[in-house]
Amino acid sequence: MTATSTTVPAVPTTRRQRSPLWFAWKRFAANKAAVAGGGVLAVLIVLAMMAPLVTKTGPNAQDFLTNSLALPSGEFWFGVDDLGRDFFTRIIYGARVSLTIGFAAAFCSILIGIPLGALAGYYGGRIDEVFSVVPPLLAAMLLAALTSGGFVTIVIIAGLFGWVQVCLLVRAQVKAFKEKEFVRAAQALGASPGYIIRRHLIPNAVSPIIVGFVLAIPLAMMLEASLSFLGIGVMPPTPSWGQMINIGMNFMYFYWHMAVFPTAALAITVLATTLFGDGLRDALDPTLKGV
Amino acid sequence: MIAFILRRLLSIVVTFIVVSIIIFLMMHSIPGGPFDGGEMPLPPAVRERMMAQYGLDQPLYVQYFKYMAGVIRLDFGVPFQAPGETVLSLLADAWLPSLILGGAGVLIGAPLGILLGIAAALNRNTWIDYLASALATLGLTIPVFVTSMILILVFAVWLNWFPASGWPEPNKWVLPIAAYATIPLATYARYTRSAMLDTLNKPFVTVLRAKGLSENRIIYGHVLRNSAIPMVTVFLPMFIGTATGSIFVEAMFRVPGLGSYFVSSIRTRDYVTEMALMLMLTVMFCLAYIISDILYAALNPRIRNGGRKE
Repeated sequence: MTATSTTVPAVPTTRRQRSPLWFAWKRFAANKAAVAGGGVLAVLIVLAMMAPLVTKTGPNAQDFLTNSLALPSGEFWFGVDDLGRDFFTRIIYGARVSLTIGFAAAFCSILIGIPLGALAGYYGGRIDEVFSVVPPLLAAMLLAALTSGGFVTIVIIAGLFGWVQVCLLVRAQVKAFKEKEFVRAAQALGASPGYIIRRHLIPNAVSPIIVGFVLAIPLAMMLEASLSFLGIGVMPPTPSWGQMINIGMNFMYFYWHMAVFPTAALAITVLATTLFGDGLRDALDPTLKGV
Repeated sequence: MIAFILRRLLSIVVTFIVVSIIIFLMMHSIPGGPFDGGEMPLPPAVRERMMAQYGLDQPLYVQYFKYMAGVIRLDFGVPFQAPGETVLSLLADAWLPSLILGGAGVLIGAPLGILLGIAAALNRNTWIDYLASALATLGLTIPVFVTSMILILVFAVWLNWFPASGWPEPNKWVLPIAAYATIPLATYARYTRSAMLDTLNKPFVTVLRAKGLSENRIIYGHVLRNSAIPMVTVFLPMFIGTATGSIFVEAMFRVPGLGSYFVSSIRTRDYVTEMALMLMLTVMFCLAYIISDILYAALNPRIRNGGRKE
């Protein structure tokens, strides 16, 4: 150490090297909308996980039949629905359903999107173009009608239509990295394409994969809500915000709480997740902006 | 240019045939048929005769060719939900509401979105920019039926300015048109803004400034024109988004349009009507695809000779 310090000028301790993650964090923290979105999302996740602790009954318990359609009050924060169920409980358990479907579908999306995106980036194909002509929501509606809905089906359908964005992000990254020297070196040393993709290209695509995962969540939540709204998504009595909005429409003139709370819950959750994902994208890789 | 359009048309025909086969197969794999009636089951003999009358007992490929032969003559068959009519006569009255509401939504939303995007790009990091970005994000992230719900709650239930639903009085058009307009508005606001900012940072703009051109001439003479190509690219997704959104907007506002039939046909398993609607939508999307390609080629000479858009 002392020998080198004579040749290298002493570096002041205050200007130490910052890691790329530190810069990413700085960029993210400067984005107020993204931080707020992340905060709201975190609160929602905690609420959804602790649903039995923050609510007084089960989501399907018709404990308040005599108070059916009661407006919000100190006892019933979000009122009571038409079937005598505490509406606050329904909304919180709805968050559970929505978030579970969002995360599970996003996981399916990256499972499909990573290999296809890596292959398309490495060999230069355009697998996703076929899918861009078919309007995803229509196709999803047909599939859901065909299978008559259900929790697992919706996750699979959302995954089937959510991978395109992951694929695009991964493809762009792989395309950019496959010309780099270390990949050329690996090729020169005789590594197979499969090995290079697995060992070098996919690990270098971690940030687009994270971004793709987070951005797939609101898409899946929207798809679930849309299908449930049409009555071909999650089946009652499983609480789903889309379904509640559909029912709330029939009551909105006299029992506004039936329409307002699920609408607000869905809008806030989707918005918060999207803002968080957009912020993450801009922070992790500023060059990806606008993909 | 003509060769380009012909090449595009050919690829569209192929797409249409592939999509029609897929739709046909999907529709026929939906469990349950029109004569399975749960409440009033038919005697098996009657059921078989009905199936034979509608040709449902023949092999699938025969059914497909018979069906497509009819489609070419605009004969989509007899809808199960209204056996006395044809699909075309059933949907004849449904075109108008969808066309009026969707058309007005696009015609109002797209120019507003473009203006908003330009204003945001020219006033970067001011309240105009933040407002435009907020509107664009809201419009693009929140599903259209939630937007519709918010519009209904605010303007129909609380303020009582407009009726919440119905047809055909024009005062009932306001809210669905507003709901439709959010999709093109948000799409165009976002993409116009980023296209303008992108062009403003190009070296040629610096050159124009160095040459001493007035800021107005730079923006309206050069930057806007060069930002037009990305705006054309957005046309197709915007159109698809609006057309798909019609299903939800019409369901929310109880408008008797094509979107309403789309939902009711799924619910009643009326796959004859459903297929006709899907095929019409496919044709519409294909036409939108061609229009956006032609506009693109007209604006960008590099595309015309077999290049592809990226």
